[in-house]
Amino acid sequence: MIAAIGLVLGIVAGIFLEPTVPTWLQPYLPIAVVAALDAVFGGLRALLDGIFDDRVFVVSFVANVLVAALIVYLGDQLGVGSQLSTGVVVVLGIRIFSNAAAIRRQLFRA
Amino acid sequence: MLLLRNLVEDSLDEGYARAAARRAAGEPARKSAVVVLTVGLLLVGLLLATAFAQTRQRASSAATARDALVAEVEQRTAANDRAQARLDQQRAAVQRAQRQVLALSGAGTELADQLSRLEASTGAGPVTGPGMVVRLDDAPGNSDGSDVDPRTDVDNSGRVTDRDLQTVVNEVWAAGAEAVSVNGQRLTALSAIRAAGDAVLVDFRPLTPPYTIEAVGDPHKLRETFVGGFGGSYLQVLQGYGITYGVEDRDRLKLAASAGVRLRYAAEPQPSETRSNGT
Repeated sequence: MIAAIGLVLGIVAGIFLEPTVPTWLQPYLPIAVVAALDAVFGGLRALLDGIFDDRVFVVSFVANVLVAALIVYLGDQLGVGSQLSTGVVVVLGIRIFSNAAAIRRQLFRA
Repeated sequence: MLLLRNLVEDSLDEGYARAAARRAAGEPARKSAVVVLTVGLLLVGLLLATAFAQTRQRASSAATARDALVAEVEQRTAANDRAQARLDQQRAAVQRAQRQVLALSGAGTELADQLSRLEASTGAGPVTGPGMVVRLDDAPGNSDGSDVDPRTDVDNSGRVTDRDLQTVVNEVWAAGAEAVSVNGQRLTALSAIRAAGDAVLVDFRPLTPPYTIEAVGDPHKLRETFVGGFGGSYLQVLQGYGITYGVEDRDRLKLAASAGVRLRYAAEPQPSETRSNGT
């Protein structure tokens, strides 16, 4: 419950404070969002499976975001940035979809 | 295939299963759990909201910039039109004053006649007289250019190009026209019909179709010579591409003066120079 307040607080802070993202960080924001969504859906599924663990969730979220950004950064330095971002989005997208499907099966038994 | 199956089947982070196994093995729960989770979710919310705000801000700033540019273009165009109107007015006033001064003496009257003849033939002054009108228009159904994707190579052959106008105007001159204007832009010896993007420019002023070429000349011969010559057959070729045209005689045409005949480098030769050239 308290944790949900944290989520709401974060959203409210982001919308109303409008933190300015430095220009060098801007290319990694979209990929970070996809990575964060992956972690969130993974956490939700674990919650429904009854095996949720807060530490695993937070660590997987932070690591996902950092690794995704790092991959894109490396790709940018090597000239394959857009291809690597596409790869990251595809992999994370598939994971999000299958996690969402598992959540759906849990919730609706269908 | 193995990679895809791995992706789909092991979509849940392994860490959850291991943590559950550890818990089942009797490891005690940590006290900081709620704090860690709250901070984590706060980060998630912050990230999502920041991305949202960022995207919205970028889109709106692009739209604002575009609107500002459009407004500036309109403003400048209006200012340009106003300046042109004032210029025309003052030029007319200068002309009137000139006539008045010249009319004071006999030699001046002669000079004034010569001046108006020269102005009429160079395009610096307005002319009236009989002549003909040639009307050209893009093929119907041709998009107006603003939404054409150049990469898809949409069929643009039904559009009147600067080359078409050049050819037609040249043929009008060749048919014996003494003064020609295109969409109200009087042509002088220094006029150019060009294209910039999809627009046809006459003396750097963009024109919009339909194009009206007015020519003053011998009312009987002008149209006959034009239609019977290369001009007429060229128009028929254009018609094959769907371009519509019309040629009519007019008893009386009034052509405006050119917006500006200005010599930047050429100057009248001094009397001594004329002699030394020996012609």
